[in-house]
Amino acid sequence: MTEPILQVRNICVDLVRPGQTRPVLRDISFDLVERQALGIIGESGSGKTVLSRIVIGAVNPPLKVTKGEVLYRGRDLLAMDRTEIQRLRGREFGYIGNNPGSALDPTVPVGQQIVEKLRSVEPGISRDEAVRRILALMGAVRLPRPEARFHEFPFQYSGGMMQRALIVDALVTNPAFLIADNVTQPLDVTIAAQIIRLMHELRKDFRTAVIFVSSSLAVVREIADDIIVLNEGEIVERSTPERIISAPGHDYSKRLIERIPRIWTTEAKQAPRPVDTQKAMLRVDDVYKTYRVADPNKFFGHNKVEAVRGVSFEVMAGENFGIVGESGCGKSTLSRLLSWVEEPDRGTIYFEDADIAKMNRRKLLGLRCRFQLLLQDPYNAMPPHMPVGRTIAEPLYIHGTHNRKEVRERVLAVMNEVGLPSSLYENLLVGLSAGQRQRINLARALVLEPHLLILDETLSALDQVEQSRLLEIFERLQAQHGFTYIFISHDLAMVRRACTRIAVMYLGKIVELADNQTVFFNPGHPYTKALLSAVPTIEPRRYDAKECLLEGEPPSPINIPSGCSFKPRCPLAVERCWAEEPALLDRKAGGHSACIWANASEAELRDAAVAARLRRESAADPTPDAVALRA
Amino acid sequence: MAFVLTFLLRRLAQGVIVVFLVSFLIFTLLRLIPGDPVRMMLGTNVSEVTLERKAKELGLRDPIPVQYANYLYNFIQGDLGQSYLLGESGGAAPTAQNKQGGQISAEAEIARDAESKTTRASVFKLIGDGLPYTLQLAGLGLLFTFMVALPLGISGGLKPEKWQARLAFFTGSLLISLPNFWLALVLILLISSNANLLPSIGYKGFAYTLLPAIVLAVELVPVIIRGLSVSIASSTQQGFVDGGIVRGLPWSRIVWRHVIRNASIPMLNMFGVQIGGLLLGGVFVTEYIFDYPGVGKLTIQAVLQRDFPIIQGVAILAAGVLVLVNILVDLVATYIDRRLKY
Amino acid sequence: MAAETASADIPARAMRGETMTRRMFRQARSMRGFQIGLGIFLVLLLAAVVLPEATSLSVTKISVKERFLPPFFLEGGSLAHLAGTDQLGRDLLMRSLIGLRNALGISAASVILMFVLGAGLGIISGYWGRWVDTILMRFTDAQLSVPLIVLAITILGVTRPNFGTIIAVLVLSGWPIYARVARSVTLAERQREYVRGAKILGASDIRVMLVMIAPNVLPPIAFVAVLDVARMMIFEALFGFIGIGVQPPTPTFGNIIADGTKYIVNYWWIPTMPGLLLIVALLSINMMGSALERARNKIFAGI
Repeated sequence: MTEPILQVRNICVDLVRPGQTRPVLRDISFDLVERQALGIIGESGSGKTVLSRIVIGAVNPPLKVTKGEVLYRGRDLLAMDRTEIQRLRGREFGYIGNNPGSALDPTVPVGQQIVEKLRSVEPGISRDEAVRRILALMGAVRLPRPEARFHEFPFQYSGGMMQRALIVDALVTNPAFLIADNVTQPLDVTIAAQIIRLMHELRKDFRTAVIFVSSSLAVVREIADDIIVLNEGEIVERSTPERIISAPGHDYSKRLIERIPRIWTTEAKQAPRPVDTQKAMLRVDDVYKTYRVADPNKFFGHNKVEAVRGVSFEVMAGENFGIVGESGCGKSTLSRLLSWVEEPDRGTIYFEDADIAKMNRRKLLGLRCRFQLLLQDPYNAMPPHMPVGRTIAEPLYIHGTHNRKEVRERVLAVMNEVGLPSSLYENLLVGLSAGQRQRINLARALVLEPHLLILDETLSALDQVEQSRLLEIFERLQAQHGFTYIFISHDLAMVRRACTRIAVMYLGKIVELADNQTVFFNPGHPYTKALLSAVPTIEPRRYDAKECLLEGEPPSPINIPSGCSFKPRCPLAVERCWAEEPALLDRKAGGHSACIWANASEAELRDAAVAARLRRESAADPTPDAVALRA
Repeated sequence: MAFVLTFLLRRLAQGVIVVFLVSFLIFTLLRLIPGDPVRMMLGTNVSEVTLERKAKELGLRDPIPVQYANYLYNFIQGDLGQSYLLGESGGAAPTAQNKQGGQISAEAEIARDAESKTTRASVFKLIGDGLPYTLQLAGLGLLFTFMVALPLGISGGLKPEKWQARLAFFTGSLLISLPNFWLALVLILLISSNANLLPSIGYKGFAYTLLPAIVLAVELVPVIIRGLSVSIASSTQQGFVDGGIVRGLPWSRIVWRHVIRNASIPMLNMFGVQIGGLLLGGVFVTEYIFDYPGVGKLTIQAVLQRDFPIIQGVAILAAGVLVLVNILVDLVATYIDRRLKY
Repeated sequence: MAAETASADIPARAMRGETMTRRMFRQARSMRGFQIGLGIFLVLLLAAVVLPEATSLSVTKISVKERFLPPFFLEGGSLAHLAGTDQLGRDLLMRSLIGLRNALGISAASVILMFVLGAGLGIISGYWGRWVDTILMRFTDAQLSVPLIVLAITILGVTRPNFGTIIAVLVLSGWPIYARVARSVTLAERQREYVRGAKILGASDIRVMLVMIAPNVLPPIAFVAVLDVARMMIFEALFGFIGIGVQPPTPTFGNIIADGTKYIVNYWWIPTMPGLLLIVALLSINMMGSALERARNKIFAGI
């Protein structure tokens, strides 16, 4: 056993505010040895972020260390003065936070800021030497075109690229250990999977030990040799990932693992009532939406952001339709179009066979009663200054009900239906939990007794327990009233649980449209596979990310190149994919897929993969549009 | 580079519109409000006939659009017109005579103008004569302002819970509560007449700029302190400050290289929108009270005497300067923070 | 920072059921500066309302016998005339208090009007955008580039200055700033999810503006408007000083000080004492205003 580089001994931290003191960490002790990868998992509020900061000695009021020491190679960090510890940070410890977008000064080029840091923690180093080292590392973390990226500003980086730059920043001094606090949390799943893969590889090349902090066991287990489970400021268990998953030693760990959603070992969602396959509740026919943004480099020039490019689908009465995709795929624009806050440039949307565009104001208002949209963010979706009862009643007032008694009765009835205590009627939203807010949001939509509910990332902000409860409410309401749901989400596990039919979007188009089981177990589009391979789970994986997920990020929706838009990241891309953009094709296996290989046999797919790999390896220049920055 | 050009062209076009709008509004306003400038020029005891003749001669009886078109036509050729009241070699313009503190009475001037149509002073020249004095006053006032406001505002913003913030807060509250004309009076009384430390009324040398500049600075300092401490404080709330700490940057470097850099954007914007107007207004009043021979005094006297061409000329000039200052401010801000380009 | 946000939910929960506006008020009320300012302001307000009515001292009656009496703390002063008398033997304190009453009335009225006009147009401009926005913003640009003082004396110099015209001039010059601020906040607010939510529910534009946006946008602006009351008082006094304010014999700070200027060398208190009262009043308002502003910043940005 090697000597530990970091020893945390009996650390206790309190949160001190006037009039109240609350313990945040209780008697935490652990060691970190060289080259070890230690995972720390805990839910929000478990104190994991405070813990990740205490190991670099950065605890500020109102937090206060009441007991214990943090020994770095035998010296107590908490006893050091400010300059001393400031020099250790940055040189001996690297820290990567969960907010890549704001970690650097937005007004200074990224490379310059890394040079600044390197030279202030290692004063002897020359500028040229610093630049050389940083460029080399930027290549190593596979930032495309390091020389150009060096001079770009933080806002020109996407989240994933920024996280890579911050890894460069942390590793450039060859630190003894690296703390990664929830680094994948703000990223899309395919991008997060790439970052995890990168950190895995870097561990082989650098001698750096890693403390990997996350709220997701599925993510931590990818990278950690050893996992600490943190609950309410206490370490409840320390073990290897395999042992924790197969035989959790503590009740809390057991519950934690039970709550993690499964994808591959659950049944596909079934509709509680038979779906009426004849009656299309909502029909979307070849819808386009393009935004114009000013082009800063041209006289009065504009760039076209093609957000939605020819989307068609039908939602049948009584079904649960899912739309999934990563950020920038056009799903939020689509939800704005579906809810008719914006109108499509082209194409038609029919609600119960009536063209919405042709409706007059009064009819449109009537339509708003029958279909409702629940917004993503329970904190911003409602006006902050109104009491709960008034918020829920607002749609009734808008739609012309003014009898106070009637309004009150209907509001209370619907509050009861979604499980809100009537005592909240006079409360303001301030201080209510995300779950309660989302119920209010739901109640506000239900008070008009709609037939169709569009749920735009409605459950994303909730924890697993609250998510399950709301899903149960949805299911009950569907059984009682025969609702139709459209779930718009990035969360594949939720979609697996909640939807009967699923559309997968990529860069403004539907690339796959099939029933739940087919999408997950026999997808026809390589992007669907890549997406599924990237979802972190604690189950055995069905798809291997090594084969399905290549490097690179989605191209920018500005001036989309011709051909298939997935080609730069596709493990099956051949010559034809640069020439033609495939339409949604019927598949023999069921469903539709927008890929030239939609109906290919296993053998054909294998050949294509080999051909594509040869093609990639022979191409000297990595496809430039793969690295195009996001607007 | 294409960006800078586009930006400049777009902003200049907008600026021209603003200047035209200002000139039109002022022009119309001046002609709609009651009060006949010709009566002011000629005094009360001239006949209606003479009055009308003079008014016609000056084009004051044409329809307003025609008058405005004529004015614009001359303006484009660089001619801002002539003062109704001030002669080529006298009046309130800072001629040698005036610099000695003497002032020709308006009555005498009008009388002279009425009997002989002597050459009346061109507005362009009048403004040109006053401008150096005004610039000197404004420059010195800004210098004093920054000397006091920068240290107070920055330290107040960096230490929001400490005495520095309280000092900035109370200094700001006190100074903003001092009416400039009253302060000017008290300073003249105490420093000029009682203690005889600095000269005040009129202009006979650089020392005459000091007291007005102090009064001007007192008006500007609280605004700058407030803006600075707020923008510095909000800049320290940004992620890169905490990010810098965990990345191992020294605190001084975070403050001087990053916090102040980011705080300068809102400061620049404030400077463009507010200070321009404040500075101009302040200069005008200060010059008037101290009888300081700049554009401000010229304007206020012109207003009181209904000397339209001077008012119009100054308004256009002021609008033009403010437009240019704002373009410059935006250009600098865009250079500091590239995000503004998008 | 992350630790900060993690712990930030505690006070929020403790203040269950409290709106932003009330939180700001509570925050401001706890500041020393606000308390002092409010105390002084209330005393002055009471004095301005009650004293001139309650005493037998006339503010317009000329009394040659009592000319040039100094304030009570100087030799020759008396407690009957605390701040002394002016060149016509009128009590300076009473005249100043009436001046304060007039100044407060004018500035409060003008700030309320410019707030209503400016914020109203600003919200419309920010919410509707397009040509309404373009026209309105160019218009504010134009107006902001003419110094208030030029505009004011141009108008007041020729009309008969009275309460109405002075308020009109102040409103005319003050509204563009309010329009700008309200517009920029509305632009941000319009993007918020709850506005989209309301539109999905079928709410009309007017309803969204009145019921949703205005109650959120206006209170923070109103907080800062308190500072403008003091600014407008200075302008009112300045107008009086130049001779284009409310005309004598109605006392205003401006005309009292202007009249006294001639006597400044021998009877310094005549222009100075009213000025001091004005400053104390301004100070009290500014202290309240700055405290409100800081409270707002604290709640909004955590500064």
